[in-house]
Amino acid sequence: MLITTTSSVDGRPVQEYLGVINAQSIIGANIFKDIFAGLRDVFGGRSKTYEKVLEQAKEDALRELSEKAQALGANGIVGVDLDFETIGSGGSMLMVIACGTAVKL
Amino acid sequence: MKSYFGVFAAPGAMGVDCTILLFDKKLSVGFQNANGANQVIEWQIKNLDSNFDFSRQVTLLRNNTMAGELVIEGNGAFQYLQSLKEEQQKPWHQKSKGKEWIRNTLLTVALLGILYLLYMLIVPWLSEKLATKVSAKTEQQLGDAVYNALSINEKEDTAASAVLNDFFKAMQVATPYNIRIAVVNESVVNAFALPGGRIVVYKALLDKIESYPELAALLSHEFTHIQNRHATKSIFRNMGSKIFISLLFGKMGSVANVLAHHADNLKNLKYSRSLEKEADMEGLSLLVKRKIDPAGFRHLFDHLKMAGGTVMPEVLASHPDTDNRIKYINEASQQAAVEENTVLKTIFEKLKQ
Repeated sequence: MLITTTSSVDGRPVQEYLGVINAQSIIGANIFKDIFAGLRDVFGGRSKTYEKVLEQAKEDALRELSEKAQALGANGIVGVDLDFETIGSGGSMLMVIACGTAVKL
Repeated sequence: MKSYFGVFAAPGAMGVDCTILLFDKKLSVGFQNANGANQVIEWQIKNLDSNFDFSRQVTLLRNNTMAGELVIEGNGAFQYLQSLKEEQQKPWHQKSKGKEWIRNTLLTVALLGILYLLYMLIVPWLSEKLATKVSAKTEQQLGDAVYNALSINEKEDTAASAVLNDFFKAMQVATPYNIRIAVVNESVVNAFALPGGRIVVYKALLDKIESYPELAALLSHEFTHIQNRHATKSIFRNMGSKIFISLLFGKMGSVANVLAHHADNLKNLKYSRSLEKEADMEGLSLLVKRKIDPAGFRHLFDHLKMAGGTVMPEVLASHPDTDNRIKYINEASQQAAVEENTVLKTIFEKLKQ
């Protein structure tokens, strides 16, 4: 499965467009991660805990997107766009929305 | 997740191009079947038999439970599968997820331990340390503010107050505080001390007191509260733990917050009981040093017991159970030498006239 943010793939023209697909993943950092991230807020520096959570949410969204594309008979997804949002009271959860166009290359 | 392109060969059929998505525990194969429809099949990793064909430079995958074969170019899929299988064969505590779980658990336990130590030892210690930094003058201002707010002056029995002040002076207790005792015309059987030196005794309790050792016991108990800064320490400790809990549970919604505050109240009541016991014991030693009869404490507690309304379980009370108080006072005062103190007796008789 070829996943790309560009609208076309060099040297491999799109033979068939199979439709727009999207997938989302919502993931919560837990209370302890929140405490450590809170400490980062005080002392500064990169918050690895939140970065990991975000990375995992992105992985999950792209995995779901690939499964949807595969079910449509696609072998590629072009024009992939990733959106990040915080949701829940106090913004304690992270949402990643991935969308793109399933294509046959 | 990894994805590959390959060729899927169903038994007895020609190979077709397919897409392969490789997950932690399964792989899914998407292809067009003989009827031209899109089809996705899933294989479990544990059922896979993987080989790398050096001559063709392809990875061959077979399923032990289903017929069919996958051919993927290169050895990337083969190596990835090998690493997945190795990971799956490890005992759980050596798997990366298991390790993460162990690390998280240890981290949680350590964090809870630190919070427990902070709440049970460090915050109270720090609060008391801060309380001792408050000057006697500030304590006096605080006590006076409360005293004025209670409008005690309006109901004060000045004659009785003067006698009680004389009585306390005659006990000759050394203290940096200016001890001022006020008797209030109220029907409550009680007395209390305010930070900085004020003691308030209700007339109803004074009327019940029949001997000078009882009065000495009452005043020495209240005096210890002032001398050992009990009120100030309580205020600082309560404030310290409330701030700590608010920091910890402030954002966690009302239920956790309410529970934590109730638990904190129970802890504060326990502290209050320990201060009362301290006031009893140090008050008793004031009496013993002056050879005043420690039975004064016993009689005083008897009056409180008679006047006491509903009896609460000790865990919910600010004072120790009265029977317990009588018991520990009795135990601590068995060897005490007693001598009649004519000065105190004379002043007390003046009060009763």
